[in-house]
Amino acid sequence: MSWKFDLVAGPFKGRTGGLAWNGKEMLCSVVLEERIVKYDPKSNTTDNFRKYTGRTNGLSVAADGSVFGAQEGGRRVIQFCTDGSTAPTNDLLDGKHHNQPVDVAVDSSGRVWITDPWNLQTPYGPAIYPFLNHASVLRLERDERKAWKLKRMTTDTTGPRAVVLSADEKMLYVADGDMDKGSGPCTLRAYPIAADGSLGQVNVLHTFAAGQRGIEGMCLDSGGNLVACTGWKKSGAGPMIVVFSPSGALLESIPAPSDLPMRCAFGDDGLASLYVTTGDGQLFRCTDSGRKGVKKT
Amino acid sequence: MTMSEDISIDLAAPGSERIASGELPFETIATDIVFGEGPVWDKRNKVLWFTDICGDTVWKWKPGVGQEVVLRPSVKANGMCFDLEGRLVVAGWGGRTVWRFEKDGSLKTLASHYQGKKINSPNDIVVRADGQIYFTDSPGGMLNVGMVGHDLQKYLDIQGVYRIANDGTLHLVTDDFVYPNGLCFSPDEKTLYVNCSRERVIRAYDVKPDGSCGPGRLFYKYTHPDHGNPDGLKCDVEGNVYCTGPGGVWVHKPNGEVLLRLKLKGHATNIGFGDDDWCSLYITMIGSVTRTRLKIPGVAAR
Repeated sequence: MSWKFDLVAGPFKGRTGGLAWNGKEMLCSVVLEERIVKYDPKSNTTDNFRKYTGRTNGLSVAADGSVFGAQEGGRRVIQFCTDGSTAPTNDLLDGKHHNQPVDVAVDSSGRVWITDPWNLQTPYGPAIYPFLNHASVLRLERDERKAWKLKRMTTDTTGPRAVVLSADEKMLYVADGDMDKGSGPCTLRAYPIAADGSLGQVNVLHTFAAGQRGIEGMCLDSGGNLVACTGWKKSGAGPMIVVFSPSGALLESIPAPSDLPMRCAFGDDGLASLYVTTGDGQLFRCTDSGRKGVKKT
Repeated sequence: MTMSEDISIDLAAPGSERIASGELPFETIATDIVFGEGPVWDKRNKVLWFTDICGDTVWKWKPGVGQEVVLRPSVKANGMCFDLEGRLVVAGWGGRTVWRFEKDGSLKTLASHYQGKKINSPNDIVVRADGQIYFTDSPGGMLNVGMVGHDLQKYLDIQGVYRIANDGTLHLVTDDFVYPNGLCFSPDEKTLYVNCSRERVIRAYDVKPDGSCGPGRLFYKYTHPDHGNPDGLKCDVEGNVYCTGPGGVWVHKPNGEVLLRLKLKGHATNIGFGDDDWCSLYITMIGSVTRTRLKIPGVAAR
């Protein structure tokens, strides 16, 4: 079985990355062009959402309409505010600059979950601050004075690339594995989120074969399944869109529209279309996946 | 003290001994900083002012006394200079303004927007003899790790060099640059030099009587493999041009040719001439501020 993907924007220079549906348009990070574009499916047009994004990759829309972005180049998570400004968050973990975040997910209480791996691309500015000695999932939350505080959430990850919360926000899904460093096989991991916000014991839902490109980006469908961008032409079954059940069962595996599928998100009316970004800088849309997204509460 | 492993002369051309020769003194005058910048000698009080961008502080250092915090937080202040009345004028990198220390200690904003849009992040600054203020507006204060303020959005599509006229209006001098950084005038103020950290060039501009500038010309392009890009820029009284660049502080003749390099072990960011005879060269660095001595004076700070 195969899904039909249509090219709706691009190709752009370099990879396309983070995706987020804002209710009307699909926001899409064009990482190396340092901008975020917005694709309007009604008019089939693409325009700038933000310029000068500093190699922002993963995106997540907050309740107030602002958009959080993982700014790889600046080693920080930033907030694209509705007035057009861009606010920094807290980029210090226990006083040390964290790594190069690639994905973000805002939850219903406004906390921002971050994957913070290393990256081969040089960050902006003089190299004063070394990277952390770990690559973890971090979380931003407001303290009692509304200032951002940053917490480390995982201690068992080697290079987390994607983060997704279950619809009831009781489960955290993390795609882990650093292909650049070659630090062990890539995995899909699930952590129960306790009422106090802490993470429970990890359940490794899937382990990819050694040398196989794991999950770069993923999203949730209305059945609670994980739709994931994985694989490459270099090895294994090739670039694929893979659907995992919440328990890690492999439900579907569909050839991706191009090599190095990056991130995916549902959009359009009823969240009925799946959008996919790729390593060659394209934005694809699939309207016949038979799946739809889940509206964030 | 002499520490030849920290500073030495290389790439020396004939005539360079007029500026420096043999073993140079190299004195660390300030530590406890992350990223030194903005060195400017205060001739009235015999004090060196400088900034630590990452440490978010404006400092001063008095010979024989030591260093003292003047302003913290500084919203990541960067380059500094004095105006004709002896007030410190600051390139407010993280805060994205140019501001001035008033005599009563208050801070006054002198520039924040160009054509209705917030400027980028003022990097370095210089005052002309007629009081006009020139500054570079690079984008790093919205991006660099550990060096940003409160709004990280770039609004302008240019990285300008600007002039604040004496009536307070802001004028674009040039938008030639990807990353304009250091700037200084020749001793006669007929030439404005500006360097670019990305393209690794210094450009020269003829300055018209009203302070506006003509088109730029290439003064020098760095191709040296050593680590470092053009950053601070100053002239001496004979019109030689000093630029912190790959591997240290480069000295160019007025025609652009390399006269010598003060090869440094550490990473130099900016320079400022100082002390009563203006023959000391203060060098801000990553982690420290240092001082050496030269044989001819620099152009005096106001």
